[in-house]
Amino acid sequence: MVFVKVVKNKAYFKRFQVKFKRRREGKTDYYARKRLVFQDKNKYNTPKYRMIVRITNRDIICQIAYARIEGDVVVASAYSHELPHYGVKVGLTNYAAAYCTGLLLARRILKKYNLDSIYEGQTEVDGDSYNVEDVAGEHGTFRCYLDVGLAHTTTGARIFGSMKGMADGGVEIPHRYARFPGYDVDSKSFSAEVHRGHIFGQHVKGYMSQLQENDDEAYKRQFSRFISAGVSPESLEEMYKNAHRAIRENPDRVVKSKPARDETQKVKRWNRKKLTRSQYMDRVKQRKAAFIKKLQESADD
Amino acid sequence: MTNSKGYRRGTRYMFSRQFRKHGVEPLSTFLTVYKKGDLVDIKGNGCFQKGMPHKVYHGKTGRVYNITQHALGVIVNKRVRGRIIAKRINVRVEHVKHSNCRRDFLRRVQDNDVARRVAKEKGSIIKAKRQPKEPLGAHHVRTRYNKPQLLEPIPYEFIA
Repeated sequence: MVFVKVVKNKAYFKRFQVKFKRRREGKTDYYARKRLVFQDKNKYNTPKYRMIVRITNRDIICQIAYARIEGDVVVASAYSHELPHYGVKVGLTNYAAAYCTGLLLARRILKKYNLDSIYEGQTEVDGDSYNVEDVAGEHGTFRCYLDVGLAHTTTGARIFGSMKGMADGGVEIPHRYARFPGYDVDSKSFSAEVHRGHIFGQHVKGYMSQLQENDDEAYKRQFSRFISAGVSPESLEEMYKNAHRAIRENPDRVVKSKPARDETQKVKRWNRKKLTRSQYMDRVKQRKAAFIKKLQESADD
Repeated sequence: MTNSKGYRRGTRYMFSRQFRKHGVEPLSTFLTVYKKGDLVDIKGNGCFQKGMPHKVYHGKTGRVYNITQHALGVIVNKRVRGRIIAKRINVRVEHVKHSNCRRDFLRRVQDNDVARRVAKEKGSIIKAKRQPKEPLGAHHVRTRYNKPQLLEPIPYEFIA
């Protein structure tokens, strides 16, 4: 048996330097964060807003935040699980839902800063390149920068769908069309048609139709929720169009009113209550007595 | 044999990172806001070679007189032989932090402002100046483990 020196010995641990907590958790890219968050010193405390887009398996989270030493401050947020209020009940993590969430966030933040009437954004969605411009004489545009986190920035990624939603919503977010679906790397050309298709879920419609024709079992399995919600391939475009309209009409968050807590009802405890000193001393006395008794009994045997 | 005149000569330890504090710089270094007139400590950070202070200013405290995108202009006193020159150096924010020497003063200013405002409403008078500690007034002394000792000078004896 070969003797191997223990690598992780006491000396190793004494010298070990842990990475930042969020790096250990694999959640934050500090290289990117430093560059996103840094504000010119001659701009002092002016907030530098960033649009944070994170996509989970079942949700899309869009937030607008600025950094402070005490912790980042989130100014507005939109989740794709809010989309059912606007008529989109299924497919909450697809490109179209990402677009809707971005649009929702844009309208929310503009309403918050009373800019929503000045900056309408792109009401006729055509997937083409659109950048908000300052309206002369009025307050400037709301500008923020996209924060993708650890997502892969491939062409056609859903994060850019959210960003497009924001841009079309009237927020200034510097970007180019090269990563939208519909961009062809070889010919360096951008097809707004294809992009528009993705925004209205036409790629989903295509897959649905294809499965319906070829393999009904697979269709029922893949799109079971769509079927139970009554969403057909043809109705997708209409659904997203209505959602965009509803979002622009009223982007406010729907707050569920919580029932007033019943003060008289006993609050459930999740752990044992701590003993008082007298209770504790009494317990010690009892345990001592019991132990001594046990000793005596075994001595008697 | 004279010393070599390299810019960073003799700074092996001065600009090195602290034990177990290597790697990524915490973002608070970049998020702190500096204003003109702030007192700042200068401490060279070996990770960031741009905008580093010369080794002579390491550990000095100065006053901010200018602010650019990434750096501050700081006025630092440097002793050159028989006199002290107020030198102006440009330092990036990675090598600078707010000096605590000013913190107590600013706190006191804030407290005094609040006290003054309150006193003005009530019409009372406040004494804002700090007073030095006065000698102790009359008080009882515990003699439990502290019995009084009688001290007397010894009678004079002539010793040859």
